[in-house]
Amino acid sequence: MLLELKAIQKSFGGVQAVKDVSLKVEKGQIIGIIGPNGAGKTTVLNLISGIYPVDAGEVVFRDQNIAGMKQHKIAQLGISRTFQNIRLFKGLTVLENVMTALDATTHYNILSAILHLPSKHRLEKANREKAMEALRLVGLEEHRDASPFNLPYGLQRRVELARAIVNEPQLLMLDEPAAGLNPSEIEEFIALILRLREKYGFGILFIEHRMKVVNELSEYIYVINFGDLLTEGTPEKVVNDPEVIKAYLGEEEIT
Amino acid sequence: MASYYLTYMINNAFIIVIGMLGVYVITGLTGMFSMGQAAFMAVGGYTAAMLAKYLGAPIFITLPASMIVGAILGFLIGIPVIRLRRDYVAVVTLGFSQALVALLNNSASITGGALGLNGIPRYTNKTMIVIILVLVTAGIWQLKKSRFGRECVAIKVDELAASSMGIDVARTKLIVFILACAISALAGCLYVHTTSYLDSASFGWDQSSMWIIMVYFGGVSSLTGSIFSGVVLTMIQEIFRFSAEWRTVIYCVIVLVIINFRPQGLFGETELDGKTIRKLGRQVISLPRKCKNLISGKGEK
Repeated sequence: MLLELKAIQKSFGGVQAVKDVSLKVEKGQIIGIIGPNGAGKTTVLNLISGIYPVDAGEVVFRDQNIAGMKQHKIAQLGISRTFQNIRLFKGLTVLENVMTALDATTHYNILSAILHLPSKHRLEKANREKAMEALRLVGLEEHRDASPFNLPYGLQRRVELARAIVNEPQLLMLDEPAAGLNPSEIEEFIALILRLREKYGFGILFIEHRMKVVNELSEYIYVINFGDLLTEGTPEKVVNDPEVIKAYLGEEEIT
Repeated sequence: MASYYLTYMINNAFIIVIGMLGVYVITGLTGMFSMGQAAFMAVGGYTAAMLAKYLGAPIFITLPASMIVGAILGFLIGIPVIRLRRDYVAVVTLGFSQALVALLNNSASITGGALGLNGIPRYTNKTMIVIILVLVTAGIWQLKKSRFGRECVAIKVDELAASSMGIDVARTKLIVFILACAISALAGCLYVHTTSYLDSASFGWDQSSMWIIMVYFGGVSSLTGSIFSGVVLTMIQEIFRFSAEWRTVIYCVIVLVIINFRPQGLFGETELDGKTIRKLGRQVISLPRKCKNLISGKGEK
């Protein structure tokens, strides 16, 4: 078992954003989370990555309870993520943005950084190559020196994806990765995710509204509403569940 | 006259700029708003002055000693500072710097109080100051191009996303804060060995805010921009010294014009490195041709 949420709960003030959610991700599995806006989907991802601690329940990642751990520690354990509203670092180039995901686990001290000692040179070179490899995988190597904010939206999403995969995580979490992409970009995106999974073998947990992406990518789906797990199952089962269609997908345009 | 300004530039502006580089590292690179950085210059200055005056220590002792004392104090102040949000960092550093100036004023028996200390050995010369400025600049340049530089920019832009990349935000901030305080303390050491005199009034909040103005004026993320604006702004004050009452007005007008028309600062995020110089060079070379095209284009009409 790669990741298991055991009855996690979270309240903000009087609002119970996550009431009782349990889910499982196996190694190499692609799991989708769907549900209407404000259902608490992003909160679940934020609780896994430790942006805020869970009120109750357990987050078990590779047989270790990571609930309450610091955010950067959780990231270093091998949980990477992208954000719903793209959060790239302004002031760094595309390549540097990708490299930031490697920096925390690159061990050279501040003296070798200032004096440009051989250890820095060697590790920087290795990181640059790794980051270039990630950019090549998402098809952005010619944009490496660009400022990410000068790229079109679809490419910015791919920079974020490259940054999330560069440190070869065990679990990749994607928060609405296809939002704002046009139909042909969505086709490319689905193929890209499958290719990356093939290469790295990581588990993927993703939130998505576009039913095409949900159907084609996920092997198993959890439906969340009002902070509660409504139902779960294979895409065929969930999407054809009249209850789900009525309560949740009915509001969305099914593409 | 020219040689007077050159001497003034090296002996004063360059030392001020070294102190400002501490602010660049904290505020420009990492986004923590340090409003009391001059206090660390004072720490370095008084450490060097007392070691040299009372114990006769040579510069190869006072210089590292002042940096170490600056770093230790940076560590102590840094521990609360790194846990705070941007605006509170300004309050804490400002408070610390004012408290330190008051402490220096009131311990007159060893610091000379408001009268200051004089007769401190002059150890520095122009070459030495230039070399130290170049070395500190090169070090910060390398820092910026390292994992620490990227981590700092990531923290400045988006702390939450930085943590998601596995960056230990608190630890990185503390390391940077200590380093910056050591740099400002180094400037203090050079200052006392150049002027042979120091008093606590030179290190108040006005010096600290001057440094912040320099960093923002030059372009917050640009190391070369900050250095350029540091030298220019210090020299403007000296050049207009003959009209003391207009000096501040001119200074403020220049700063306001830049902030108004170029809020990202003179250099913005651009560094004046080989790449930028080559690009500028190409533009300058193609200028006559462009002008010619423009003129002949007009002629056809």
